[in-house]
Amino acid sequence: MKVGLEVHQQLSVGKLFCSCSGELAEEVTGEFVRRLYATQGETGATDPAARAQASRNLRYRYQTTPNSCLVEADEEPPHSLNPDALAVALTLAEMLGSEVVDQLWVMRKTVVDGSNTSGFQRTALVAIGGKITVKGRTVGISSICLEEDACRKIGEGDAETTYRLDRLGIPLLEIATEPDIRSGTEAHDVAEAIGNLLRATHRVKRGIGSIREDLNVSADGGSRVEIKGVQELRLISRYVDHEVARQDELLRIRDALRERGARVPDGPSVDLSPLLRETSSRLVGDVLRHGGTVRGICLPGFGGLLGESKVPGERLGREMADHARARGVKGILHSDELPGYGVSAEETARIREALGARPAEDAFVLAASRDVHHADEALHAVAERARAALQEVPEETRDPLPDGRTRFSRPLPGRHRMYPETDVPAIPIPGTLREEVRRQLPEAPQVVQERLESTHHLNPEMARQILRADMVEAFEALIRKGLPVTLVARVLTQDLPQIESEAKRPLPEGNAPLVHWLEPALRAVEAGRFAKEGLSLVLRRQLLHGEDVETALKAVGLAPAPGDDLAQIVEEVLEANAPLIRDRGSSALSPLMGDVMARVRGKVDGRTVAALLKERLDRRLASSGPEEVPGA
Amino acid sequence: MTEPVPSSPDQPSQIQALPPGTSLRIRRPGGETWEGWLLPRESSSDPEVVHVKLRSGYNVGLRLVPGSEVEVRPGPLWGRTGEPGEAQPGGELPRAGGGPPITLLTTGGTIASRVDYESGGVKPVRDVSGIAGSYPGLLEGGPVAVRSVLDMLSEDIGPREWELLAQEVSQSFHAGARGVVVSHGTDTLAYTAAALQFQLPFLPGPVVLVGAQRSIDRPSSDGVSNLLGATRVAREADLGEVVVVMHAGLGDGPLAIHRATRVRKMHATRRDAFRSLNESPLGGLEGTSGPIRLRPDAKPRSSEPMEIRTGFSPDAALAWVHPGLSLARLERYTQGVRGVVLAATGMGHVPVPLLEWIQRSVREGMFVGVTTQCLEGMVDPYVYVRGRELQRSGATFLGDLSPETAYVKLSWLLHRTSDPELLSRRMAENLAGEISPRREVHEIPESGAP
Repeated sequence: MKVGLEVHQQLSVGKLFCSCSGELAEEVTGEFVRRLYATQGETGATDPAARAQASRNLRYRYQTTPNSCLVEADEEPPHSLNPDALAVALTLAEMLGSEVVDQLWVMRKTVVDGSNTSGFQRTALVAIGGKITVKGRTVGISSICLEEDACRKIGEGDAETTYRLDRLGIPLLEIATEPDIRSGTEAHDVAEAIGNLLRATHRVKRGIGSIREDLNVSADGGSRVEIKGVQELRLISRYVDHEVARQDELLRIRDALRERGARVPDGPSVDLSPLLRETSSRLVGDVLRHGGTVRGICLPGFGGLLGESKVPGERLGREMADHARARGVKGILHSDELPGYGVSAEETARIREALGARPAEDAFVLAASRDVHHADEALHAVAERARAALQEVPEETRDPLPDGRTRFSRPLPGRHRMYPETDVPAIPIPGTLREEVRRQLPEAPQVVQERLESTHHLNPEMARQILRADMVEAFEALIRKGLPVTLVARVLTQDLPQIESEAKRPLPEGNAPLVHWLEPALRAVEAGRFAKEGLSLVLRRQLLHGEDVETALKAVGLAPAPGDDLAQIVEEVLEANAPLIRDRGSSALSPLMGDVMARVRGKVDGRTVAALLKERLDRRLASSGPEEVPGA
Repeated sequence: MTEPVPSSPDQPSQIQALPPGTSLRIRRPGGETWEGWLLPRESSSDPEVVHVKLRSGYNVGLRLVPGSEVEVRPGPLWGRTGEPGEAQPGGELPRAGGGPPITLLTTGGTIASRVDYESGGVKPVRDVSGIAGSYPGLLEGGPVAVRSVLDMLSEDIGPREWELLAQEVSQSFHAGARGVVVSHGTDTLAYTAAALQFQLPFLPGPVVLVGAQRSIDRPSSDGVSNLLGATRVAREADLGEVVVVMHAGLGDGPLAIHRATRVRKMHATRRDAFRSLNESPLGGLEGTSGPIRLRPDAKPRSSEPMEIRTGFSPDAALAWVHPGLSLARLERYTQGVRGVVLAATGMGHVPVPLLEWIQRSVREGMFVGVTTQCLEGMVDPYVYVRGRELQRSGATFLGDLSPETAYVKLSWLLHRTSDPELLSRRMAENLAGEISPRREVHEIPESGAP
């Protein structure tokens, strides 16, 4: 197999062509509705993918937000390119050893799905070549581009899609590798390594959706398929492996079809509506009652091969349905799933007869639509897909699904979709600028990882986590302030991810503000004011309410009242229950919890009690030696 | 088709001399291989930098440092590769629908333009089929005779072109057009519209000026729906006036119909830049479908014989009054003119040093008209002392006439009369919907059709 990656990382330097903030917004300030048209390129040619999309005559509803201006609304030309974004791109080019252009041309890449108000994505090639070495294998870099992110999709209907302008224009750095990758796992590792390089610049956004990968996968004998917009690193290997399996399966089906002499006739689709007037199929009945039509085509030699597959969820019938849906029908019915879906055996037989399909040997496909035109076009798309099935795996763009499968979205676009952005003059990249970038190059992630492991004795996984979270500077600053490594490592790798996901609120952005925010709570733990198990509780409170550590401690009930020291109470309860502990070991926790809570309820949070109690219980059990603990 | 012989030029100047589109392979010392096609050199760019369209479609500029290897590759020039799916423009136009014929007069501008590598900006498309190719639904309503009258940026269009266009409009109606659409750059579109209206008092059908705020080489161009709407108005509306049809808002739905003598470009970039001053738009439509709404006072198609009153005097001027404007500067600016429109402050005021000059000039036979630079609202000589002084100096107050329309009207009237009193009277009275005695209460519209 051959796999290439395109990593798209949002940069945290404002927007690429205007002065808006790059933070997403929930506030909608207005909206407007537009259409997009297929335009001729530089040579007068039109991109086929763009033409197909524009012919669907869709409307796009755009929501404006406080972080969008006339530039995002396509009501004002782009301003000059954000120099900070360019600096990050040049930094990556240096780190990867790529060759940088001397004049940057901003191009318009035609995208008429409405995700860009202009109908194109602005993109510029910054560098080509270079390499990255991961676990001893070297993968070539094919290009580094600087582009603008698209709108956020909010909703999608039959004739209208709603987008929000907040994300449009956020700079994306696109790093594409050569197809040198040989496995799903390797794809994952390369993506992670590139992600680490990006984070080393400290100019990238964090959080879900801020980094997205496109996977270019071809199985041996298969074709290049682009899986677009994978957001989760951990799913990369699954998508790659599944795509290879899908292509292998399509090739196996092709061989079977060829062996049988399967073919796809050219003729028009046949109106089957009269045969299905009385059907109990809800789908078909609904369409016919609304004046629609059911049409069908016969696929000689395809019998049994539309519904059968060795790869779960990947049938030729599904591929056909995806292509049909792209032409505006809800779905198709094919002979391998009939009788079924309310279509009776008798109706199935009549359809077979009307289409001249031989039993078992031949397949047929039905499309139902209120719009006669749509049904016919959908079947045309099905026939095209069937024809392709006899040749090879079609080159196409596919959308990732949460279950690891993918779905056809559109054919691969050609280079005719590129058009120079006439509103932005070519930008010279002088040698002096590259010199400056070289002088300020961040440390390579491997170097930092090694330092964390050797100097601070972190285990590799913790070091990797701190690196991945872009918190190395914060870590080292807190250590320099005299806080213990274990405590700092714990808060950065365990407490903070938990707090961020529970509080659904971003942590202070940047290493210095993070240090400033964390230090008082860590000092309080060091001073014995509360147990480190209480950290996530206190910090979450601080994050949500903007409180200082003292106020937060009181609010969560960790501030000790005189004579009511929690640790003291816990020790007393443990002492009083020594026999119980001896008998039940660690399962004594739950009854002990009841005793402690009876004394501190309302003053101390239950989770803090549980954490402290467990720690003290474990300590007691450990010090008492294994032979005294039954069942240990 | 030129097929360059493979060779190895090594000087940037040698490479720049190759025909644009030549297939190249460039390798700088110790570097990567760049493959693509030579782009025409931008006139202002660094001569050492070669611009290349890469196979991926990206354009880049590469400096040819000493030791660079450049290989000229055989093969067709870029842009003539004849690849499948590369439909070339031109050829048969789609068949027209059954409606009455209209004429489309093109003048250049954004409604038909494409990238120009030599300047880097966009430039107008010259061929007629290029226009029809960009507007898929153009012929659905009926035949459209396309005539390329001018090929100019709108900032270059002036009185000579106004006359030429009036003649073309007149000929189009004589040739049987049911309506005439004029595509025009948006910068001075409103001036041309007013100029056409003064020249063509009796129109058998609508003359619709239209443009685009986003060039037609963009998928999001407003030009498509503007032009399709304009052709509908020209064909279907019972209207005997010159109007402007453009976006009423940011969306591609509602279009506004503006009266030629009232419309003004009020925003440099927005789609809904065109607004009617001191009145609501003359009408509106929902793009390609739905009824065309018109105000009751819209002039219907005229059955009078067409008349064409061309001619503009070069001796008219338009001056913007501002704090610190010295008498000397204004004198220099108006030297030799026979009439000047002042875009005065507020209700029609000027700094005191100008009063004496105005009095002298009017006495010597010059026309001085007063409009408001507020654009919305009317001038009134009676509310403040300065207004009364200005009026006593002999200036003519022009009601709610916009400064630009006043200038066009003055230039047109100066060509027809040298009688100061008649000129003054005509300037202040309504000839073509440009002045109104009343303004309605509703607030100044943000934008939008009635």
